[in-house]
Amino acid sequence: MEITNPLYDSLRIEQAPGPTTLVIFGATGDLTRRKLLPALYHLSRGHRLPARFSVIGVARTEQADAGFREQFQESLREFASMEPAGDDVAASLAERLYYLSGDLDDPGLYRRLQARLEEVDGADGVLFYLAIPPTAYEDVVRRLGEGGLASADPPRWRRLIVEKPFGTDLHTARALNATVHRHFAEEQVFRIDHYLGKETVQNLMVFRFANGMFEPIWNRRYIDHVQITAAETVGVERRASYYEGAGALRDMVQNHLMQLLSLIAMEPPITFSAASVRDRKMDALLSIQPIVNQHGPAPVVRAQYREGWVNGDEVPGYRSEPGVAPGSMTETYAALRLQLDSWRWAGVPFYIRSGKRLPKRTTEIAIQFRRPPLEIFRRVSPTTVAPNLLIVNVQPDEGISIRFDAKLPGTRMQLAPVMMNFRYGAQFARDVPEAYETLLLDAMLGDPTLFARHDFVEASWALITPVHQAWDAERDGQMPSYEAGEWGPADADGLMARDGRRWRTL
Amino acid sequence: MSNPVRMEHLLPGGEPVRFAEANAALARNQGAGDAALPHGALRATVVVVGPTDSLPQAGEALRELSERVGLRAILIALGTERSPAVEVNGCAIAIGGLKPQYVNNAVAALRLSSLPTAVWWRGGDPGMLEGLAALSDRIVLDEASAPEAGWKRAIALFSHAAFGDLRWARLTRWRALLANFFDAAEVRETAGSFDSVRICGADGPTARLLAGWLQTSLEGVARLSVDVTTEPGDAPIREVSLGGPSQELTLRLAGGGSCVKAAARVAGARAISRVVTLGDQRAATLLSEELQVRARDPAFERALRAIV
Repeated sequence: MEITNPLYDSLRIEQAPGPTTLVIFGATGDLTRRKLLPALYHLSRGHRLPARFSVIGVARTEQADAGFREQFQESLREFASMEPAGDDVAASLAERLYYLSGDLDDPGLYRRLQARLEEVDGADGVLFYLAIPPTAYEDVVRRLGEGGLASADPPRWRRLIVEKPFGTDLHTARALNATVHRHFAEEQVFRIDHYLGKETVQNLMVFRFANGMFEPIWNRRYIDHVQITAAETVGVERRASYYEGAGALRDMVQNHLMQLLSLIAMEPPITFSAASVRDRKMDALLSIQPIVNQHGPAPVVRAQYREGWVNGDEVPGYRSEPGVAPGSMTETYAALRLQLDSWRWAGVPFYIRSGKRLPKRTTEIAIQFRRPPLEIFRRVSPTTVAPNLLIVNVQPDEGISIRFDAKLPGTRMQLAPVMMNFRYGAQFARDVPEAYETLLLDAMLGDPTLFARHDFVEASWALITPVHQAWDAERDGQMPSYEAGEWGPADADGLMARDGRRWRTL
Repeated sequence: MSNPVRMEHLLPGGEPVRFAEANAALARNQGAGDAALPHGALRATVVVVGPTDSLPQAGEALRELSERVGLRAILIALGTERSPAVEVNGCAIAIGGLKPQYVNNAVAALRLSSLPTAVWWRGGDPGMLEGLAALSDRIVLDEASAPEAGWKRAIALFSHAAFGDLRWARLTRWRALLANFFDAAEVRETAGSFDSVRICGADGPTARLLAGWLQTSLEGVARLSVDVTTEPGDAPIREVSLGGPSQELTLRLAGGGSCVKAAARVAGARAISRVVTLGDQRAATLLSEELQVRARDPAFERALRAIV
C-alpha cells in the first residue's frame, strides 16, 4: 500500500505531485515559450512543483542544455514578468532543465531520451507533452511506445499530454485515438483543452452543484435559451498554415465551445470524480440532435472576415492575410443552433458563435430565462421588462453576473434592468492561475477531470464532421463575409431572428 | 494600555463622530465613490483589537489591504474610556481607549450581518476572546510578545470560532516545503527514523509552533526531540532541520530573506536541492490569506494544543 504524506493538510497545504520529469516535444516552439515555461515558473514560485522535478526539452534545433536554459530565462522575461536580472527561483529551476536535439522520426532520439531519463532527477513519473504540429502526433506516440517509454511499473508512471486539435474530423480523430491507445491506456492520456483550465469554467460546476438556488431553475421550465460566444479581435496571425485547414468550427466550436456547452447542460454528477463528471458531460453531448439532417437546411452560418477596422487599426481581409489562399473557403466565423434531446433541455435552443476579427475579445455564456407568466407592470411602466439573464464571463474579467429588473427610484412605477456582478479579481484579491498552470499540475497529479476524454472528442467530431461534409458538397462555393470589426454576418442574426430572438450585444 | 491614544496615529485623516452616528457615517462614506471603495462593494469586516501601541501598524496593513479588497475596518485601541474618541475615514473607524468590557458591544454595533467578520487580535485580556468568538467568523491571533495566554484561551474556544494566527500564516510556506520533501518516496519510507528537529530564528513562539506542528503531524510515525534556538534578527525562522540517523531535511533562508534553500539528503538516494520563494510575508498579505480561510484549521489546533 502506498504510504501517504503525513505533512499535508487539506486546508492550507495543497498536494504537490510526486517526482516528475516533464518531457516537452517541441521545446523551442511558441507554445513552450509563451505558455509552458512561464507556467512551470509560476508553479515553482507557488511551491506546486515536486521537490524532485526535471524538464527535458526535445526539438530539432541543435543546442546544449545551456541554450535551453537561456531560452527559459528569456521566456520568463518576456511572458512571465520576471525581472531582467532573473531571480533565485528561476535560476534554481533552470538547473533542472535539460535538452535533447534530434528529428522526431529518428529512433535514436528515443534511445537517447531513455538514457537521459535515467540520469535526471524525478523520472519516476514521466509526462510527455506533445507541443508539436498535430501531423507529428501519431509518429511520436508510436515511437514512444515502440521505444518502451510509454509504460512503467507502478508506482512509476508514464503519461501523455496531447494538444488540440485531436484530429480534423471524426475519421482522423478515431485514427489518432486508436494509435494512442495502442501504446497508452486512456487513463494515461491527457487531452488539453485550455478552456477547461480557466477558473470560471471550473467554477461552473461549483456554481451549479454547490448552490441550492440555481439547480431547481436550470431547465426548460425556466430557461428560454442559452448563448455561448467566443469572440476574438485577432485575425489569423502567424497561424495561416494551420488555420486554413481548420476554420472556426474546428478551431473553436468542436472543442472549446462543446466543452462549455456540456458543462452548462450536464446532469449533476454523483461525485466530483473524473469518471462521474466526464460521464455526465458525455451524456449531454450525446443528447445533441444531429446538426445536419434531411428535414431542411442545417442551422449553421459560416462567414469570412473582409477588410475592416478593429482595435483602432485598419486590417486586411482574411483572403489577403499572409499564407491564406486568395480563394480560400475557410470560415473565420461560425454560428449554430443546437437542440438537446433530454428531459432537462427539450425545446431550449443553445446558440453558439465564434469568430475572428470581431469588435472585442470575449468569451461568455449567457443563460436567458423565460419572462414571468404575467407581466403585471406592462400597463403602469413605460419600459418593458427585460428577461432575467445569467452571464458567465469566461474571459477576460472572469466572473458571473445576474441581470434582473428593479424599480427606478421615484414616484412613478418605472422598471430598469440592473446587474449583480461577481468578479474573481475583485472578490478574492488573489492571482487567478493561468489555465496551463492548472492543467500541467493536474496532469502531474494524474487527475483527468479537466481533460477531454476520447469518447467526448469523437462524439463532438461526429456532430461537426457532417457540417463540413455538407459545406464541401456545396457546389456554388459561396462564402458569406462580414466586415472586420463587426459582430459577424447578417445571416447569423437571421439564425436567431427566425426563432424570435437576437444575439446579446457584447 | 496605559499609553495615551493619539487618534491621528490610529486613523490618519479621520473625522470625529459620535459613536451613535458611526454607522451612518460609514454608510455615507461607502456610497461616496471609488475613493472609499476600490471595488464598489465591501467583502468583509475586519476588527483589530489591541493595546494602543499595536494598532498603528495594523491600521497601515489594513489600509494596504483595503486597496485590494473592500473592507470595513474597525480599529479598537484598548484603554479605560467609557465614552472613547471615535473617528471615521472612508470605510474605517477607530475607537480610542475603549474599556475592554465594552469591546463586544462596540463590535456588535458596528459589524455587518451580511459580511464575514474577522477579528485581528493584537493582544489584551484574553478573557475578551470569548465574547469576540461569538460575534465573529474568524479570529486571527497576533500578539507581538508572549502570545501564550491568548493561545491558551483560544484552545478553550476552538469549538466556538475558527482561530488562526499570523505566526501560523507565516509558517505556511515553510510547512509546504517540508511537506514537499515527503512526496519523495525515500523520505516517506524513512519517516519513522526521523528523531530530531532543530529550528533557529528570532521568534521563539513561531519556532515552537512549527515544532508542535511537526510533532503532531508525525505523531505515531516518529518521535522528535526538539531544539529551538532563538537569535537576534528580523527573520522569525531562519533555518529548520529535520534529522535522523541517515537523513536530513534542511530549509534555510536565502536570497536576503526572500527565498528558502531546500535540501534533502537520504542515504542511498540522490540529494534534493532547490531554491523556492518564501512568498510575501507582509502583514497585509498574510491577513488577506487568513481572511480566505473560513473553516477551522485542525493542523493549527493540534499544533497549538501540543505546545501550550
